[in-house]
Amino acid sequence: MAQPAAETEFTLDTAAELAAEESAAVIRGRSPWYLAWRRLRRNYVAFGFLALFVVIVVACLLAPVYAHHVAHTGPNDTHVLDTITVHGKRIDVVSKGGVLGGKLVASTPVGPQWFAAGGKYMLGADTLGRDIGVRLLYGGRTSLIVGIVSSLICVVAATILALLAGFYGGWLDFVITRFFDLFYAFPVILLGIALGAALAINGIHWGPIKVQSGNILIPTLIISYVLIPYVGRPLRGQVLSLRQKEFVEAAIAQGSGPLRIMFTELLPNVASSILVFFTLIIANNIVLEAALSFLGAGVQPPTASWGTLISDGQGLIVTRPWFAVMPGIAIVLTVLALNVFGDGLRDALDPRAKVKVEH
Amino acid sequence: MRRRQRWTWLLSVGALVAGFALLAAACGGKSSNANKNTNTAGSQGTSGGTAQNKPFANFRIAYDTGTDYLDPGLSYTVEGWAIMWNVYLPLVGYKHVNGPDGATLVPYLAKSLPQISSDGKTYKLTLRKGLKYSDGTAVKASDFRATIERDYKVDSPGVGFFSNIVGADAFSKTKKGHISGITTNDSTGAITIKLTQPQGDFQNILGTTFAALIPAATPAKDQSTHPAPSTGPYMIQSYKPNRSAIVVRNPQWKSNKGTGITDVPNGNPDKMTFDILGDPGVALTRTLKGQDDYDFQQPPPDRLNTLQSKYSNQTKVYTPANTYYFFMNTRLKPFSDVRVRQAVNYAINRQALVRIYGGLANPTENILPPTYPQYKKHTLYPYNLAKAKQLVAASGFKGMSVTVWNHDRGQDPKATAYLTDVLNKIGFKAKEKIINSSVYWTTIGNQATKAQIGFADWFQDYPHPLDWFDVLLNGTRITQTHNNNYSNFDNKAVNAKIEALKKQTKLTSSVNDQWAALDKQAMQQGAWAPFINRQFVDTFNSDIDLGCYINHVLYQFDFATICHK
Repeated sequence: MAQPAAETEFTLDTAAELAAEESAAVIRGRSPWYLAWRRLRRNYVAFGFLALFVVIVVACLLAPVYAHHVAHTGPNDTHVLDTITVHGKRIDVVSKGGVLGGKLVASTPVGPQWFAAGGKYMLGADTLGRDIGVRLLYGGRTSLIVGIVSSLICVVAATILALLAGFYGGWLDFVITRFFDLFYAFPVILLGIALGAALAINGIHWGPIKVQSGNILIPTLIISYVLIPYVGRPLRGQVLSLRQKEFVEAAIAQGSGPLRIMFTELLPNVASSILVFFTLIIANNIVLEAALSFLGAGVQPPTASWGTLISDGQGLIVTRPWFAVMPGIAIVLTVLALNVFGDGLRDALDPRAKVKVEH
Repeated sequence: MRRRQRWTWLLSVGALVAGFALLAAACGGKSSNANKNTNTAGSQGTSGGTAQNKPFANFRIAYDTGTDYLDPGLSYTVEGWAIMWNVYLPLVGYKHVNGPDGATLVPYLAKSLPQISSDGKTYKLTLRKGLKYSDGTAVKASDFRATIERDYKVDSPGVGFFSNIVGADAFSKTKKGHISGITTNDSTGAITIKLTQPQGDFQNILGTTFAALIPAATPAKDQSTHPAPSTGPYMIQSYKPNRSAIVVRNPQWKSNKGTGITDVPNGNPDKMTFDILGDPGVALTRTLKGQDDYDFQQPPPDRLNTLQSKYSNQTKVYTPANTYYFFMNTRLKPFSDVRVRQAVNYAINRQALVRIYGGLANPTENILPPTYPQYKKHTLYPYNLAKAKQLVAASGFKGMSVTVWNHDRGQDPKATAYLTDVLNKIGFKAKEKIINSSVYWTTIGNQATKAQIGFADWFQDYPHPLDWFDVLLNGTRITQTHNNNYSNFDNKAVNAKIEALKKQTKLTSSVNDQWAALDKQAMQQGAWAPFINRQFVDTFNSDIDLGCYINHVLYQFDFATICHK
């Protein structure tokens, strides 16, 4: 006969574990968040990719340190006529080109120097002699800021709309749902390009709100705006379902007001979905920012972002393909890290949930 | 059996014909290769191509996104004019030939060049009889007056050219009635133009696309996507902005040509398809792979080695009359201060800008390009960043926010990325504003935009200094919209000098010296920050016979005269 444990955690990890525990354990209640954490910390793949994301974030945050102490140049500083010394030999950062000696000669920036030029141009230069390594890190800061802030705005706005629509129902639900449908009717990229192209020229001038063109707040707002329905609609479905539950009816019977019910009864019950959405949509927004910036409707030059770097590298795709590939790899790794971690988080918080971002 | 016998006989004949065809192709191939070797890349200036009559089905052009309009009254870009040169004919025009002779004016729709009165103020022309538009309607002398009046009604960027016509100023205000200085007679075809004062470049102005005849009934609004009927060898079949344009033969051209128009060739392609592409790399690849026949765009600078090593017999290098410059809006701070404009001129390293354009350029501080006899090189602004910083500090505008404008096409955005960095280095807080190239010129040419500083370039409309100074720097020609004087440069002394030189009907050496002095005077005031005279590369696919290549002094590569091998 098994020795009963003095105190055993109720973890719901597997049916077998549960059966074993139930047979002998003194069951102690744990909060859903604690249980989720228990499940998450056993998912080593998710944690591995979270670590990768943290490394990328830290590297991007250290961009000024790299620029100042290693590369000795800023992200937008041009060095078209500069030279560097590589293995005792002076070479042009951007080579001379044109019609030389009656022949066409290509003008090409230096490729990756790694440590041969004392830390300068480790990943090479672009056609303006700007350090690609510095711009890659600064570009990462921009892309991550746009991705995270736009996700935050998107999730907050979508949650409020979903709570209002799901709780009140009726005409308010009708209006909000049609608003979601309206956005669903447009492909996200096309809507983003249309808004980006329009706002890139004049900026935003809505009454007291004034944002100059070129400010990264513009692509941030555009991206958050176009994705609201993709988060809001599934959340509204969950709220509608929860609205019918007994605990909500009980709260109403106790005389709780709508705001109290929405924020103390309904919100905690959809919080896990919101958290998973937030994680997954950051990855989605980083890709969207890159796409819009590549097409000229997102982050405006000379500000570096991974999207603008791919666009800059496009002109050198034949002779210096790494210039476009490197920011692409950075995007892939970041998105992969966030998606795998987001999936792990979803499995931990609610294994039955089908939360995903589709557009 | 009979049938079989016949089939066998046909097969024998077919084999014989095929054998001869192969033999002929082999001989042709040799001859063509011999031609290729003479068309080496890097040949400077214009080549000696001779137009041959070799019609073929379709000439496919990888075009760029710079076309503003395909309406002769509104377009003012190289892209627009290059298409419309063979579509809308003015009363007079230019020979379709290589070299300086291309600047020779010849009669197009007019029977002869204008008769000019002894006081230089009256121009008389006669329209050829029997001319028809592509829709079959007759061309009338009164259409000329209607065309010029329509230019005013659509706020054409070319109206400044016609302001010297008697009554044009009054018409520009009311846009009703007629311009009193233009009288026409539809029955005789007589056209008389009276000017308020003599004007040295007026014949050239009559040869611009703005003066190309279209029917009087053409609506006074942009007709780019509903092309107006044409008089030239071609007509625009369709235009989808930023996507494509298709130009086909004008069914009335044979009869128009029969009226005696000798200096406009029939053209070889039956059709010209313009694929509008945003990426120069894609345009080059499509051309080299044979998806397009000609790359209108400039190859990315890093692809020049490949062009030289593999495709040297498919390229042509040339230097048209052009100046690339940064405009500085003198109506807006900080560029209202001459010290700031001079600072920008000192701060930009023109050699760096040459390299940004892949070395296919020569540095310049002049307004006029070196191909002009009036050009005298001046070096007022040697690169001096320290002096530039001092001038900005002295102006009191240090730390001010500045927006640098540009379009999104080719290498040009890199020039403003460089300028933005330079402006930040000399004490401003500069940022870029990059917009689509198809709306760029109309946007910065609108005073409401208040563009502070930005990129501009100029390619001659006609070979005369007035096309540079009068159009781009005469303060009296500044307009609210479609303004070409992006700097809003309005200097009384410069204006007066332009007006005085405008009256000179001949460009003598003394007059040329005065134009050169005016170039220096304007630059002392920092009217612009000129930086390069650019060279260009034309790239073709291997099916094109460059023996027919004509690079015109004004319109550059003449699409209509090219041949297929």
